[in-house]
Amino acid sequence: MGYVLSTEGFDRTLAKLGERYRIFAPVLKAGEGRFKDTDVIRYDYVRSLEEMELETRSDYSFKEILLPISETLFFFTEDQIREANLDETPVLVFLRSCDIHAVRRLDQMYMGNGANDDYFYERRKELVKFVLIGCPASCENGFCRDMGTDRTEDYAFSLDVKDGKVYCDVRDPELEDAFRPCAEGTEDVVPQSPGESDCHVERPEEVPLSIFTDAMWDEYTKRCINCGRCNFVCPTCTCFTMQDLFYTDNGLVGERRRVNASCMVDGYTTVAGGLEHRKKNGERMRFKVLHKVYDFRKRFGYDMCVGCGRCDSVCPEYISFANCINKLNARVKELEVE
Amino acid sequence: MGNLDINLKKIKKNAYRYSKVRGETASRVRCPGGEIDVDSLQRVVDIARKYGQGTVNITNRQGFEIPGISLEDIEEVNKALQLIIENRGVNQDEYNGGYPASGTRNVVACPGAKLCPFGCYDTKEFAQDIDRRIFPNDHHVKIAFTGCSNDCAHTRLNDFGIIGQTEPQYDPDRCVGCEQCVKYCSKRSVGALSVVNGKIVRDTNKCIGCGVCVVYCPTRAWTRSEEEYFRLVLLGRTGKKNPRMAEDFLKWADRASITKIIENVYAYLDDYLDRSAVEAKEHIGYIVDRTGFEEFLKYIMKDVHLGPKCEMQGRMYWGGKRYDQGNELRRSMYRFSEKEADQ
Amino acid sequence: MAGKNEYTPVSSKIQKIIRHVPGEWTFRFTYVGPVKPGQFFEVSIPKVGEAPISVSGIGEDFVDLTIRKVGKVTDYLFDNYDEGDSLFIRGPYGNGFDVEDFEKGEIIIVAGGTAVSPIRGVVQHLCRANPADTHLIAGFKSPDEILFKADFAEWEKLIDVTMTVDGAPEGYEGRVGLVTQYIPEIPIRDISACKAIVVGPPPMIRFSIIELVKRGFNEENVWISDSRKMCCGMGKCGHCRIGGKYVCIDGPVFRYTEHRALID
Repeated sequence: MGYVLSTEGFDRTLAKLGERYRIFAPVLKAGEGRFKDTDVIRYDYVRSLEEMELETRSDYSFKEILLPISETLFFFTEDQIREANLDETPVLVFLRSCDIHAVRRLDQMYMGNGANDDYFYERRKELVKFVLIGCPASCENGFCRDMGTDRTEDYAFSLDVKDGKVYCDVRDPELEDAFRPCAEGTEDVVPQSPGESDCHVERPEEVPLSIFTDAMWDEYTKRCINCGRCNFVCPTCTCFTMQDLFYTDNGLVGERRRVNASCMVDGYTTVAGGLEHRKKNGERMRFKVLHKVYDFRKRFGYDMCVGCGRCDSVCPEYISFANCINKLNARVKELEVE
Repeated sequence: MGNLDINLKKIKKNAYRYSKVRGETASRVRCPGGEIDVDSLQRVVDIARKYGQGTVNITNRQGFEIPGISLEDIEEVNKALQLIIENRGVNQDEYNGGYPASGTRNVVACPGAKLCPFGCYDTKEFAQDIDRRIFPNDHHVKIAFTGCSNDCAHTRLNDFGIIGQTEPQYDPDRCVGCEQCVKYCSKRSVGALSVVNGKIVRDTNKCIGCGVCVVYCPTRAWTRSEEEYFRLVLLGRTGKKNPRMAEDFLKWADRASITKIIENVYAYLDDYLDRSAVEAKEHIGYIVDRTGFEEFLKYIMKDVHLGPKCEMQGRMYWGGKRYDQGNELRRSMYRFSEKEADQ
Repeated sequence: MAGKNEYTPVSSKIQKIIRHVPGEWTFRFTYVGPVKPGQFFEVSIPKVGEAPISVSGIGEDFVDLTIRKVGKVTDYLFDNYDEGDSLFIRGPYGNGFDVEDFEKGEIIIVAGGTAVSPIRGVVQHLCRANPADTHLIAGFKSPDEILFKADFAEWEKLIDVTMTVDGAPEGYEGRVGLVTQYIPEIPIRDISACKAIVVGPPPMIRFSIIELVKRGFNEENVWISDSRKMCCGMGKCGHCRIGGKYVCIDGPVFRYTEHRALID
């Protein structure tokens, strides 16, 4: 059912939903950017429409809710292992179409790769419903349309704000009661989708084995500073590293946690004894790029990258991921001719 | 050219320089914070074309100096300077009268947070605010603002050097332990960070507040403090007698305290300047050497209320060679060779 | 509801420790359940960390894990645990070897150093199931670093064993030289049908396969066992991925023809 609400009306809906759900949305954090007087948009709790940043794409994605940057898994006492508790309040997450497509990729890795599912991911995922933020236009550096992620019907409800009115397409019947008493009226609502983008990518269907050692990656050995921002902002990157520790004030007690990991950052492939499998930044770039637009598809049948463009925007060295995909495609074509 | 009869003291105050070329002078254009708008820059060009020799000197203190101006043209040049003075927001006594003083020097600033990734505050804005508070004044005071501890503005060669600081804020929940902050703090700064149990510990005593950790953190675990903080360094100078670097006086000071301290120095100078000094011009440090630091402190700290984070240096010592006491080089190679020759 | 928490390690008692050489010991952990040679366990020491260790022996109520002291977790294990102590393990993970595949026809196994662990179970099986056609070449750095001495003494009675060391002091009576130099000497009746398993450090694997191919081995008949950083063991953490494969779930045992398309 489609609802039209005033912004006040929508805030009343949010308040009603807030009684049952913890609500997460992109929020502009003033002054928390890299540089003085710059901001960052990342996910946080919200209570009202005003608190949400709906204009500009978030710098860091929703994935922090399903895969916390740092998550304690177990607490250890002298001889016991205790699983970390989880707040079991259901969660609503506001996100864009590309990011809803990213959820499928996270599910694939955590609940569809190998015989065992990821318990810690699964227990969070079960609590979450997704709210689609409509996109009136394509984002800076975004290429969702080329990746086929510019639309989705997989949401509990949608949100579009136009001329001071809020338009919601409610698909989850459990949520209707939060809208009905607050709405000004009902009508067919179709969430906005971004349309044409300035940024386009062409992906190779197949790549020859020689691409792995091709000189096209050398450029990135020189340009990339292996900071890993591209991975940390990516809504589809799922890698993590385990950390164990003794509490410094009581060595008998400690915990095991996992933290987001980046295949660009030093140590990602380092094994006990010190052997590191990918040392050059160009090799790491190749590993990442091919995963996003080739290796994942080989395994699961669809591409990992959703074209949100965050990695392009965040790179401190102005390395364009989208442009790298296009370079890859061009190089593969050249090699085919050879 | 008639017989020149010029009140040189008066034109020096009016920001004209004594030139070795008889009959000529140079006009000094004040650009607080080292900033100039393009209209004013064009006017500098116009003056240099019409009254000068078609060249402009860029001064060490971020102003312009237009050489080759005839002493007879000063009145005309002052009129041409009027819009520059207005555009730059520089205080003036008399319309079309040029600059009313030259003692308190142009206030210098590095590019600061408007441009530089490491800048901890808007250096130009602060410099311009201070300039409006202290200028015009004949006392010889040098002030420089720099955005971070790199000190690109060379504040340590000034009477007052203001160095930006930020107090890094750490959110362990956003930290993945990639250790880039540790690496860059060690390589680009002082090495105040270490890893304990996968998370970062900041040695608050060692940390200079440069913000390098914030710039390099890929996850926003490190962010800047909402408050801007400043390190204040005092009484650096160049010169023939005893050049020396300014020494730390305050760290983690707030803006209001810095402003008040700078304003306060003028009363001290009024009371203690040696009026018999050549051109009544002394580096403040020499006066402090005479009165003792405690007396100076009494003046500059009047009505200053330092914030809770602020730390003050208990005893101040300055280094620098005392040329008035000796001009020897240690272990002079020339003398060694002399000795060898003697043997 | 979320399923079983596979990350929860299980308490296990150290039944026995065999101290081969100072930095390389076999720990016999209590374990009852399905497990294959070539699979691995995560040895899990609360507050210290986890380390992936391949299975070197399988018994009714135990698995042997032969461990090299090379990092935080293994250092802690060597320094703090003794026979009778309990710690935690989780697994087994990975595909392991299907020993039945090697029961028929000729097979040559080339192993270097600690990598004897993953094939120890295979050799034990073949000593019973296919002794006449099983050839083993094992290489160690020096006589001091030879592992599983008692096993080799047993195996030599049943199958063709070539044991060599890279270098030895004067007076050493055994073979000296790299494993690759013994590959041409192994008597094989039908090269094109002969199978091979190669385990060891990456360069050893690479040069051994070159020798095998020179002799006319069919690349399709060659298996290798790989290892990478494996944090989770279940295809989640991503560290062990190479191309489209996860070493922890698709490996660590790969057919050579599949593995050579995986470039780090």
